[in-house]
Amino acid sequence: MRNKVKQFRVRQDLTQEQLADALGVSRQTIIAIESNKYLPSLGLVFKIARQFDLPIEDIFIYDGDNSHDN
Amino acid sequence: MTLKKYNQTRIIVALFVSSLVSMGVTLKLPLLSGIAVVTGILFLSAVRSQTKIIIDEREKTVREKAAQLTYAVFTPTIGLGSFFLIMFGQQKTPYIFALGQVLAYLTLFMIAIYSVSVFFLNKRFGGESHEE
Repeated sequence: MRNKVKQFRVRQDLTQEQLADALGVSRQTIIAIESNKYLPSLGLVFKIARQFDLPIEDIFIYDGDNSHDN
Repeated sequence: MTLKKYNQTRIIVALFVSSLVSMGVTLKLPLLSGIAVVTGILFLSAVRSQTKIIIDEREKTVREKAAQLTYAVFTPTIGLGSFFLIMFGQQKTPYIFALGQVLAYLTLFMIAIYSVSVFFLNKRFGGESHEE
């Protein structure tokens, strides 16, 4: 699983801290998600999608690799 | 107070309390050690209630994995340790035998807690089989 969170965050001109505050998580979590080290929960995925106003599948791409799954 | 400041405060309080405890032990003043520990705990719990601590889902996952790993490593280690202590302590040293017994009961206790937790958590997260 990989994602485009960083790409959309930069596009919205948000810092990691700002995105973390908006989603109610820590900055470390945003760093971990952006570097594909942590697979967020379904609830957080929906929050991220709502934050960027995009469908989930535009942000998260399932490529059949489960190596980073929690 | 942020989480970072809370962690810094916790370290400072821990250092202060440990120095007071060691002073109490050195000067043979057990009351000083006791008061230091109790005051430290009360102070930290008071500070913690004032702090907005965000424990997000990643941190929860990390804690869950750490607990899982602790159980997976600790239980077989003390289980095997108790086996060897009972085996070798049986003939010569009775206190080693007794220590082995304590560790064996501890292993059983941990397995029992694990089993009970699995049972209730399985129920909580819908593990009961309802055929419809």
